[in-house]
Amino acid sequence: MTEFSDRDSKPGGYTRRSFLKGAGTVAASGVVAQTALAAAPETAEGRALVPRLAGEVEIQLEVNGKTQKVKCEPRTTLLSALRHRVDPPHTGTKLVCDQGACGACTVLLDGEPVCSCMTLAVDAQGREIRTIEGLADGDALSPVQSAFVENDALMCGFCTPGFVMSVTGCLEKNPDASLPEIKTACSGNLCRCGTYPHIFDAAVQAGRQMKQGGTK
Amino acid sequence: MSPNPIAQPEWKKRADMKVLNTDLRRVDGEAKATGRAVYSHDVRLPNMLYAKFLRCPHPAAKVVDLDLGPVSAVSGAIHALAIESEETSFLGQPVAAVAAESLEAAEDAIRAIRVEYETSGWAVTEEQGLDPATPSIGRRGNSFVDRETGDLDEASAAVASADVMVESTYTVPVQHHCCLETHGLVVDFDGKRAKVWASTQHVTGVSQQVAGELSISTSDVEVITDYMGGGFGAKFGIGIEGQTACRFAKELKRPIHLMLDRADEFLFSGNRSGGRQILKAGANMDGRIVGMTAEIWRHGGIARGSNPGQPYIYSVESSHMQMGSVHTNTDANRAMRAPGHPQASFAIEGIVDELAYALGMDLLDFRMRNLEDPVYHRQLDRVAKEVGWYEHGYRAEPNRSRGGKNVGIGFGISVWGGGGRPVCVTSVRIDPDGSVTASTGSQDLGTGTRTYVGAIAAEEFGLKASQVIGRVGHSAYGPANGSGGSTTVASLAPAVKDAAHKAREQFAERLASWLECSAEQVRFEGGEVYSTAEPGKRLSWAEACSILGSRPIEASGEFQGHLQTQGVHGAQAAMVEVDTQTGALKVLKMVGIQDCGLPLNRLAIRSQINGGMIEALGYALFEERVIEPWLGYALSANFNDYKLPGCKEMPELVAIIDDDDDRQQVIGMAEPTIIPGHSAIANAVHNACGVRVYDLPLTPDKILMGLTKKA
Ligand code: FES
Ligand code: FES
Repeated sequence: MTEFSDRDSKPGGYTRRSFLKGAGTVAASGVVAQTALAAAPETAEGRALVPRLAGEVEIQLEVNGKTQKVKCEPRTTLLSALRHRVDPPHTGTKLVCDQGACGACTVLLDGEPVCSCMTLAVDAQGREIRTIEGLADGDALSPVQSAFVENDALMCGFCTPGFVMSVTGCLEKNPDASLPEIKTACSGNLCRCGTYPHIFDAAVQAGRQMKQGGTK
Repeated sequence: MSPNPIAQPEWKKRADMKVLNTDLRRVDGEAKATGRAVYSHDVRLPNMLYAKFLRCPHPAAKVVDLDLGPVSAVSGAIHALAIESEETSFLGQPVAAVAAESLEAAEDAIRAIRVEYETSGWAVTEEQGLDPATPSIGRRGNSFVDRETGDLDEASAAVASADVMVESTYTVPVQHHCCLETHGLVVDFDGKRAKVWASTQHVTGVSQQVAGELSISTSDVEVITDYMGGGFGAKFGIGIEGQTACRFAKELKRPIHLMLDRADEFLFSGNRSGGRQILKAGANMDGRIVGMTAEIWRHGGIARGSNPGQPYIYSVESSHMQMGSVHTNTDANRAMRAPGHPQASFAIEGIVDELAYALGMDLLDFRMRNLEDPVYHRQLDRVAKEVGWYEHGYRAEPNRSRGGKNVGIGFGISVWGGGGRPVCVTSVRIDPDGSVTASTGSQDLGTGTRTYVGAIAAEEFGLKASQVIGRVGHSAYGPANGSGGSTTVASLAPAVKDAAHKAREQFAERLASWLECSAEQVRFEGGEVYSTAEPGKRLSWAEACSILGSRPIEASGEFQGHLQTQGVHGAQAAMVEVDTQTGALKVLKMVGIQDCGLPLNRLAIRSQINGGMIEALGYALFEERVIEPWLGYALSANFNDYKLPGCKEMPELVAIIDDDDDRQQVIGMAEPTIIPGHSAIANAVHNACGVRVYDLPLTPDKILMGLTKKA
């Protein structure tokens, strides 16, 4: 998608993006959205005629084991909810591309790594959300986190939370994961500083440690 | 104070170092790995507004009508500003900006703005830029020549009379910096004083520029860059984002959060210029390049572009170069990690290979015959050994077999300055409670500045690296230069060393009476303090510091020229595999060697070398700005359409610090590591299958096309 499709809308109509992000609410809880979209004709022109969805709904999110009420718009992504709407803001999860192309926003949803920029906040209701802030136990880093520090698997650090979550998701399922499996698990993550080789070292070391210690 | 003249600070011998020249863990690694590190993007202030830009969707346009009115009807929108209400000159140029209560509301507000544009002729390709029908873009016309060296007739004659002659045109696309944290800042201005969190490579510069925008004095601006998500040369000035944030902050008296979105970042925050280079060169049977002519056209959009010129590092008996620029209606290029050098490298390393093959000479041997500096000989030899060159079967001719997967090897070299300048003022403080801080207003881009700042002081006091707090990224910590040209370490490290040295001398002075010796006899080692007169009587660091009572030690440091120097070299080799049926290319291994004078943190230096090789791998294989030439649409303004190398494309990487370089002075080394990698890969592709790709990136279709022709 180029940046122009975002703008490519009639006054008062949907952009493709706000439509797609709005559409997620049908399956979730947005009552307004449900009625509005149910009445909408299926054609593209028809969609543009649908009055825009606006306003906040209150939802419940369980972030790192704590449940809290969060005001979100139907289109609010989980990433945006974490960074701007939960209290306190969880800014460890990074916004980089906002289109599922970089992995910087990776969180674990019921243990599965997902791009929080491609997940609607309302769709994360009733699911266990784990973010980078939820890995360390007080001052004690998780094995993946300490392996990242030891192996210099971080430079500017902006991609780091996303990589740590992807590696954690992979190793918690299988601490025996081979290097190719780790690479596959992180294939959606980008690092511009070029820490990949050290990330691989860190992930292998963390896997070994998790197997021995059985720690999470 | 001291009766003795203060001794000059000197780096310890490498063998005596306990902290520096070792593998040091980053002191801020934990903050980064836990998400606790707060970047400018992450700053949240009460009452803060989010600002956003509206970009012009055309390469150049007249703004016939700009209606900000509808913004007032958008819920959550607070204010809108016109940025450019007459004419735009490059694709994606911001025309308006809004400030709103949330990012979502800011997006709505941007969409509500109505703009009517009129377009009449623009250029997004070199061809269009050269078309006389294209309206004028730059002040000097749409193309101009601004540099010429050597004698054309002489060089042409030398090429013509050489034993072999080659002529080729090498093209490179525009590459983007792709800092994962976009440009931007948060400005909190109460009408008198401003606090600014900026994602910048130059804290000191930002405080001056923000002061200018807000019409207050620099001392009333506090700039914080605790963490920043990459710069690579694109983040020096405050830019349009800084100016706009200041305008909003002034008018609204509320904190403004203005970070570019990803498309903004791709379209108006700078790039590495593209270019076209036409090289003719001749060499004799003895393996000497005797003549070369180079015609260079830089593609810097509305700016000039960059290229250091040819024959770059190689020595050629007679050469001529003409360099110019062709403007297009695209974003101005900015400095990007070794500006111009990767472009020059791609053409020269290609033509050098072509000459060697034409002579039937070993590629490595031919390079060495045309390189005067012996450092390159030793470095090339080292990477050749590491990559397996001497066992490789195709050293003077490419593998032309077809049907299977062929392996090839290629080389490239680099050069850089990396010297420092007298800008930084640093401070080191020892407190009675035993804590030590070393502070500088310089910034850590991910290079490890914070870590070595503390480590230099730790080395001085015989402490562990973890016992000193390195503080960076705050305007209050003293002036520092911008982190460009790999000048940070050579500018900063000597000033930190100077402060630590003075602090140690002061401390020795204060401890002398306690230890009943002279200040010269006081030693700081292994976390202890003692006198050489009575080595058995030792104080722990904590005990020694407690003697300071209520008077901490504080020393400030300045640049010390003799602690740094300039001039670094590098060589890289790449091994690739080409599928001769499909053109698919896989980079198997890259080896990079880099000298850097006295290494401060070996682990971070290897990370830099890896990072340079990986960025070059992206340039080689994937990265390319694409603009649709007839409609002028930006087609590569996010990571789904502009591919960066990822885990799956990572070859085996070998990063080597050249320890044969025994200079006892610090030199910057981050930039040269990006210069030769893509050239080595392109040469390796040719070596693997006899197909030379003259325009980056080396996509499989181009390789396959070549394979088809040669079949
Ligand atoms: S920000 Fe979500 S994938 Fe890039
Ligand atoms: S460490 Fe900077 S982007 Fe990965």
